[in-house]
Amino acid sequence: MATAHELVEKGIRAYVEGRLEESRRLLEEALRLDPASSRARSYLLLLPGGLEAGLENGPSAPPAPAPPRPVRPAPEAPSVAAPPGPAPARRGPQYAASPWDDGPASSPSIFVGGEGGLNLDAVAEKSDVRLLVPWSARPTTSQDDVAVWMTAAKDLLALGDFSGSLEMIEKILKVDPEHAEARDYLTRNEATLVAMYESKLGPMGAVPRLVIKPEEIMWLNLDHRAGFLLSQIDGAVDYESLFALSGLPRLDTARILAALLLDGVIAA
Amino acid sequence: MSEMDPVVGIDLGTTNSVVATVRDGVPLVIPNRSGQQLTPSVVAVARNGKALVGALAKRQAITNAENTVYAAKRLIGRRWGSKEVEDARRVLPYTLVAGPDGNDVRITLGGKPVSVAEISAQVLGELRADAEAWFGVPVSRAVITVPAYFNDGQRQATKAAGRIAGLEVLRIINEPTSAALAYGFGKKLEKKVVVFDLGGGTFDISVLDIGQSVYDVVAVGGDTYLGGEDFDRRVMDWLTFNFARENGGVDLRQDKMALQRLRDAAERARCQLSSTPTADIHLPFLVAGGDGKAALHLTKQFTRDKLEELTKDLVERCVAVTEKTLKDAGVRPAQVDEVILVGGMTRMPRVQKAVRDFFGREPCKGVHPDEVVALGAAIQAHALAAPPKPGSEVLLLDVTPQNLGILVVGGYFQTIIPRNTTVPTNQTHLFTTVQDNQTSVRIAVLQGESDKATDNELLGEFVLAGIRPARRGEVSIEITFDISADGIVGVSARDVATGQEQSINVTATSGLTEDELKRIIDENLDDLLEKKQSTVDLERSRARVTTAIAEIEALVPAVQAALERSRFGRDAVQKAEGVLARARLALDGKDTAELARVEEALERTLQLFKGLAASPPQGA
Repeated sequence: MATAHELVEKGIRAYVEGRLEESRRLLEEALRLDPASSRARSYLLLLPGGLEAGLENGPSAPPAPAPPRPVRPAPEAPSVAAPPGPAPARRGPQYAASPWDDGPASSPSIFVGGEGGLNLDAVAEKSDVRLLVPWSARPTTSQDDVAVWMTAAKDLLALGDFSGSLEMIEKILKVDPEHAEARDYLTRNEATLVAMYESKLGPMGAVPRLVIKPEEIMWLNLDHRAGFLLSQIDGAVDYESLFALSGLPRLDTARILAALLLDGVIAA
Repeated sequence: MSEMDPVVGIDLGTTNSVVATVRDGVPLVIPNRSGQQLTPSVVAVARNGKALVGALAKRQAITNAENTVYAAKRLIGRRWGSKEVEDARRVLPYTLVAGPDGNDVRITLGGKPVSVAEISAQVLGELRADAEAWFGVPVSRAVITVPAYFNDGQRQATKAAGRIAGLEVLRIINEPTSAALAYGFGKKLEKKVVVFDLGGGTFDISVLDIGQSVYDVVAVGGDTYLGGEDFDRRVMDWLTFNFARENGGVDLRQDKMALQRLRDAAERARCQLSSTPTADIHLPFLVAGGDGKAALHLTKQFTRDKLEELTKDLVERCVAVTEKTLKDAGVRPAQVDEVILVGGMTRMPRVQKAVRDFFGREPCKGVHPDEVVALGAAIQAHALAAPPKPGSEVLLLDVTPQNLGILVVGGYFQTIIPRNTTVPTNQTHLFTTVQDNQTSVRIAVLQGESDKATDNELLGEFVLAGIRPARRGEVSIEITFDISADGIVGVSARDVATGQEQSINVTATSGLTEDELKRIIDENLDDLLEKKQSTVDLERSRARVTTAIAEIEALVPAVQAALERSRFGRDAVQKAEGVLARARLALDGKDTAELARVEEALERTLQLFKGLAASPPQGA
């Protein structure tokens, strides 16, 4: 079963590609798994109709228990066998319908596509039965992905979701450290981003130290600049001094240190 | 002199510096605030504008080469345009410019010209701060060591650096003398001692005659461009070459970050090989792979044999310089009673073997090569500050460090006052004219060890006119050198027949005018006060944060009660806990900006809490 993070990723991708309903479904599902997901909320706000009423209490609203929801027919697919029993009334925050909510004990639904055939997508959604994908068509990081991430970063930034936006940029820079648009984005939003990264690090006087074994460093996925910064972390030098030592722009230093911290390579 | 008024001895080295003191009669090194005995003599302005001194400055010396000053000792007290300065300009990555008077050397640091004395003052200031942290009281007096070949100008400039750093320099003493002092501490010596000093950047060899409380440097030699850095460079070259061979020609020298790590690793490995036969060099993610490939790692095992093979000629150069110095001084190796090893490089087994083979005796192992010079300075500082018991005085006298004299015909140097003459002193020599009917003569006052005048330092010059016209060789010109206890050299020239006289006073200067020096000292004082003010501000900010945390914590029960009655702001306590956690973390650090941010957040939280706690129950 997909995690909230993966659902958000898929939802953003669907949104960027114009599959709005699918995006809504995925994001709402993500929100159900992780009610604190600000990125899911941000994207739901972008969708027509925005967040449903029950969700509009803001990110701090306590998560409500998932209510039982009716199985929603697949779009454009007339139901040949309606789910038994009346649909329970919604209460509390109203999440989008999810096929999982009925649980395994509910009656199976069969969906027919527009031309009368079996709607495989609908079946897959309902049953978790997925078709195989040829190896040659396996998902890889492509320029398409990078473009999607870039668009997502811009949208999130427009919504004020800096951390979500930044996450997208980091994904881009991980596969393409010299990506011009991503770097330009970093430059334009430098002050905000530096402050964000620094807030992740904590006080500048704190002294970071390596929390993995030195021999494990080899197995990390770092570039040479991160390698340099990591080599300067000796348990005696504080963050502020690392900024002075790095010789890199403050934004890059902050970004690398925050990533090392987030990945559990260092701790202060 | 009270025990609460400490004095220190400082070895202000080309590469590293050390501060020491005498406590309860025992000389000991004061570790710096990072716990290290050695503080790199490196000063920098980092790219983010932060001033760095010591180890941190050294760690970014390659990545920020143009704003990192090392080996300032090679330049202190030197004249702009001198051979030494020209040599330094060829090898140093930072920019040197002439001072306002065109004679002095300035270093461009952080975009501003800074005198060399100010650079050295920053290192001395760091050592002073380390000593103060160790003693827990202010330290304002020191003895500082300099190489035996330093002239008066260089010594004055070192003194000026001490003054800028807020230190009263009790005395400037020679490094080999200082080493011998530490070696002879508590012993009654009558020996001929060689001090073999192979440091990070320079090699000095000195021969001393030690009598009862008299330490006479009788010969000095060396190579000012031979030291540990040259050994490290060989290791770096070897690693770079092998890396390129194994990685399709990737040249590490093109990447400053890689080079910085490589140099640090080379130095570490070289030091390690003094005690172990092998050293592993492991530098993950050293350099970009190119074409979007993953970063490359450097992993290499380095052996002592390889190090010795790579640096064989450097060790041979040390031996050759030693041989020449002893030969010039008319001393045979067998006449030497003791060899004192100074400088970290002398830990290298191959260097020790070379010394042993040359002198035919084991070098002295009783003294620590990195610490011995500073310890000697500390002993001298202690002797000057608190006179020891009768009979145990080891008080060095102020002596002229180099020969003083004048330029004579043929471009030669005529010594008037020889090196090591105790001051105050005066000497008179007779000279005559070089041409028939010569009515004036130019007197150029020089200091140095060479017979050739041009190799020595020009201290000043003047013209004696009105000489009686006569055949050459018939006129007697009396030249008198008079050195006062303050080190001021008065030179007078008098025509014995006519009584016509001219004179000048030559005072070795630091390169800074007295006004300039005062201004710098005042500025430094301001900086110091500013730092102290920052400390006060920091403490006040901490106190405010601590109070706010306590107030918020006290309001938590009331706020929780209020929240139970409300549909809103349920996460207020959770958010406040986040703010409190951040505030507690900030209290542990010294980041005033973070403390200020935390203060703001605490204030907002406090106001919110006060509001919530004061809100009446719903329906009331």
